[in-house]
Amino acid sequence: MNVNARTGLFVLGLAFLLQACAGPQKVPKNLLSLTDSQMKIRSFQTRTFDFSDQNKVLRGVVAALQDLGFIIERANAPMGLITAGKFAGGGLSGFVELTVTVRKKGEQRTEVRVNALFNTRPIEDPKIYQNFFIAVQRSLFIPG
Amino acid sequence: MGLTLLGGLLFSGCVQMAKPESFFEMTPEMAQHRALQTRMFETSNEKELLSASAAVLQDLGFQIEESAVGVGMLRAAKERSAREAGQEIMQGFLLILFAITGKAYIMPVDLHQQINATLVTRRSETDSSRFLVRILFHRSIWKGDGNAGDQAIPPGQQRMEMIHDAKIYQQFFAKLSKSVFLEAHQI
Repeated sequence: MNVNARTGLFVLGLAFLLQACAGPQKVPKNLLSLTDSQMKIRSFQTRTFDFSDQNKVLRGVVAALQDLGFIIERANAPMGLITAGKFAGGGLSGFVELTVTVRKKGEQRTEVRVNALFNTRPIEDPKIYQNFFIAVQRSLFIPG
Repeated sequence: MGLTLLGGLLFSGCVQMAKPESFFEMTPEMAQHRALQTRMFETSNEKELLSASAAVLQDLGFQIEESAVGVGMLRAAKERSAREAGQEIMQGFLLILFAITGKAYIMPVDLHQQINATLVTRRSETDSSRFLVRILFHRSIWKGDGNAGDQAIPPGQQRMEMIHDAKIYQQFFAKLSKSVFLEAHQI
């Protein structure tokens, strides 16, 4: 072993040793703060429908998700909450998860908000959310 | 050669980028699946439909894992062995084939599966005295461990598939219709 390799090994060993000295990582300050992109995503994720019956919209969302091959994992009617997931399929490996909240907005309208994750990372593509709302719309207005 | 490979890698990147859009896209087979998975019952008693569905699932050996009456939803699961003769024969065949060439290869086979059912009831839009029942069956399968030469293949590799076998759905709805004394109409 030449001198260079030995120094390299020493430095590597030292790095490992010193790693123990580093304290636990601090919680990032912006953990709960809203960024601009998050605000933008929120607008893609939200749509208001002209229905006064929250339960009707909630069931419409459930039916749309079933049409899309999603598995409804949890649902809570009073809170208007749905959690669903499906395996991505189509040559894509991974899991798509989403949470939908359906809330009354004023007297005549109901608001639907969806958060979708792909492999635990938030989906930020507006086109994907558009497709979701097209499916919901179909299920609400063209019932099978 | 190298360039082709690089090109292939680049293009595979494109496919990955374009795909996620399809998560919420309707495809023609979705309508077929809906017809397979849905039946209409001439009753306006949703609670009875739900509890009868739960009872049928219980009869079929499922555990009810989640229920939400306000949405008309049930989720149930059952655990079963996933061992199949075909796979085990293949495993033995490959073992012998590789042994002849002096290599050790044990192909992982499916060991265990969980069969899941999600059921939703919904009032018919066209006729409010009728209810639609839709059930989705799917299963997750876990592979056992294997061996390729010196490399051990770890167990627990999981895959998931939707069940689109018409017979399974027919069986379920036949049982449900007996249980509520009502005919299950195709939609």
